[in-house]
Amino acid sequence: MIKRKDFNASSSQPEVLLAENLRKSYGPRHALQGLSFSLKAGRVLGFLGPNGAGKTTSIRILTTMMEPESGHFVVDGISSDRPEEIRRRIGVLPENLGFPRQMTGIEYLTYFGQLYGRRKAEAQEYGWALLEDVGLHQRGKSLIGSYSHGMRQRIGIARALLNDPVVVFLDEPTLGLDPRGQKELLELIQRIARESGTGIVLCSHMLSEIESICDDVVILNLGQVVAKGTVAEVVGRVQNNVILRNAIRVQVPPSFVPNAKQVLKGIPNIKKVTPIGEMEGWLRLELVEPVNGDVSKAYQNNNNILSDLIRAKIPILSFEIEGGRLHDVFLHLTEEAIQ
Amino acid sequence: MSNIQAAKDRRVASSRSALPAWWLVLIRELTDLWVGGKALVLIFIYTVFLSVVTYVIASNSELSLIPPKEMVYETIKNVMAVSLFIGLIIGADALSGERERNTLESLLLTPSSRRQIVVGKFLAAITFWPAAFIIAIPSFRLLSQGDEVFGQGLFWGGILGTVMVLAYVGLGMLVSFWSNSNKTSYFVSLGIYILFLVPAQLPGTAQTGVMGQFLQWVNPIAAVNHFLSKILVNNIKFSEFWVWLEAPVVFCILILGTLFMYAAPGLRLEEGRGSKLWKRFSRAMGLGLMLAAFMVLSSAFPARAFQGETESPIQIAIDMEYKTVKASDSIFFDTVVTNNGTDTSPTLFVAMNIINLEKAGEPIDPEDWSPQRTQSIDPLAPGKSATLSWRVNAILEGDVMIYMVAIPQPEGQNVTSHPVASQGIHLTVTPFTKLNPSGVLPIAIGIPVTLLVVIYFVNRRRNQNIDMGGSS
Repeated sequence: MIKRKDFNASSSQPEVLLAENLRKSYGPRHALQGLSFSLKAGRVLGFLGPNGAGKTTSIRILTTMMEPESGHFVVDGISSDRPEEIRRRIGVLPENLGFPRQMTGIEYLTYFGQLYGRRKAEAQEYGWALLEDVGLHQRGKSLIGSYSHGMRQRIGIARALLNDPVVVFLDEPTLGLDPRGQKELLELIQRIARESGTGIVLCSHMLSEIESICDDVVILNLGQVVAKGTVAEVVGRVQNNVILRNAIRVQVPPSFVPNAKQVLKGIPNIKKVTPIGEMEGWLRLELVEPVNGDVSKAYQNNNNILSDLIRAKIPILSFEIEGGRLHDVFLHLTEEAIQ
Repeated sequence: MSNIQAAKDRRVASSRSALPAWWLVLIRELTDLWVGGKALVLIFIYTVFLSVVTYVIASNSELSLIPPKEMVYETIKNVMAVSLFIGLIIGADALSGERERNTLESLLLTPSSRRQIVVGKFLAAITFWPAAFIIAIPSFRLLSQGDEVFGQGLFWGGILGTVMVLAYVGLGMLVSFWSNSNKTSYFVSLGIYILFLVPAQLPGTAQTGVMGQFLQWVNPIAAVNHFLSKILVNNIKFSEFWVWLEAPVVFCILILGTLFMYAAPGLRLEEGRGSKLWKRFSRAMGLGLMLAAFMVLSSAFPARAFQGETESPIQIAIDMEYKTVKASDSIFFDTVVTNNGTDTSPTLFVAMNIINLEKAGEPIDPEDWSPQRTQSIDPLAPGKSATLSWRVNAILEGDVMIYMVAIPQPEGQNVTSHPVASQGIHLTVTPFTKLNPSGVLPIAIGIPVTLLVVIYFVNRRRNQNIDMGGSS
């Protein structure tokens, strides 16, 4: 196991990645229109956007696989005009990374460790340590061709960490993993950031995972940044607009659903009560719109609903305002940009 | 000290002790190619091919048809043709194959220089050539039958083969550099391979004319073959024929220069250096080359004009009608040409023709069967006859028809004459039963078997170091 100290991922840490006004076009299509953001050491940045938003182009540019038309970026103080030096400081798990099927896990890590400048024995030792870190120690001598998808993602992450990178780019690392695999991988990513002070850029469509482990977020749409900042900032900035859509989600024990529906239908501010898809025990409450977009009135209504349910002795497992999650913010921002 | 600083220090310290990237890539590629990879399979196919070629040539040698010098030359030519094909295939997979398998990105993400990556792959790709050449040495030795051509063949075959393999592997890698998939890469490479082989398929006159000679001189493969045949078979001195080496050497320098100086530094995730034009051009070129090859090959078999018959005073008789012989046996017979006319005949030429009765009359080249393909007769007075003796070596088993044609020399520039055919000799050739001509079998069978054993032990040793457990 590689020993790492706990790292304080506060905003006072130095910037390890700074992108300024990056632009890229494919013929007449503008894939990237002035991407600017920064990432501090030890923080996890979620990189979001619908398909075609420019995420892959951004990652390709930031990992020196592609040159921008204009703009520049700096990794750990190294300017983008020195790509070999930047590659020495970054680790990458691309979305569709292929693996040599005839190599064992430890051979693979040793080979790339040597390409990063380590001696063979040192690269092998470090490879075993990383295999232990990602939970593949028992399978280090197996051919990669015999690995499951989840194991390949793990060894891909180990490869990305071979050079003690300052910044790690992970493109859809949990894609195709089962829920347990997703959870373990996200914990690993968070641990890497916290313990070694590595800045992590995490590209994902799984908004819940971004919300759970990311400190910062950048939302891209049609090649433009539509929101950036800490997760709380981005959600808070958009929240008021979204709340005016007037919906609440409540979760009660399944046996209490009929009773809850009866209580809720009796509240004058609720227009409609509907179960949420196949989520057992979840109800969506559509509310009467507040007069003149008065947000404080909306908050008061929410409190009243909550107290009526408590008074009826219905156990409340969850109570959340629709629009208060990153998922809602993402949909709102991307829809708004399209309109 | 912060963790970031510690990581920076480790990075800088480790980079000082680095082995060069080209060496690491070379070792990795060698393992991929030679331990369970395609090089072993290709070299095994090559050894089987070499065994067949050696056996066939040794059989011909038993029939006294090909002298040792020519046998060694033919074998070297075949060894080179197959080796160049293998080189092109390995080179064509080197970069586009990695793109197709999505493994190139991880290599490009390391701080290694692009040129070093290409150099490592190139060096690994050419390693099959020494193996192929060494495997062929016993065959050269056997076929040379103690002739000095063995040493000459090793020397010139080794040098020229190396030059051509370097060029062809480089060519394959250049094609691979500009291809996103192996399909495109193999298609274009095969087209180029055929293009260079086409001049050898041109009709004889096209190869000997000024233009034909120029085409051979420009074409690196044809030039190398021509040079080898002159040096090994015809004993012509190097100083008289070195000019034929210009094209192969220039070709090699051009290819390697383009690969390492222009292409390699720009190696990237997508094909080429960004031009979509190349993709369309290469596909069009591949199709064009295939079409050109087909047309040239077709033109090598022009239709013959039909001419009507007229009466002739010349008659030709033959003293044999039917005979059964074994392959490699010799048959001797006489022809009698008689002038039944009233005037003295012009000079007469008698030509031998052989057709294969089992293959719808397919012609057999009499040059392979007989030391005398044609003989001439001085003008015959009216009523006079002339007898000619002939020898035929039965080579191929089956039923053949041998017949002779007497051709009077035309009396002027603008007139023709009337050839006359004899009755035929129906010859049944039974199989040649010697199974081990010139003691070739131990080599023809031994080399592929030895290679199989080597492959088995290499794989076994490799598997001993691998945990064979399935995924979990």
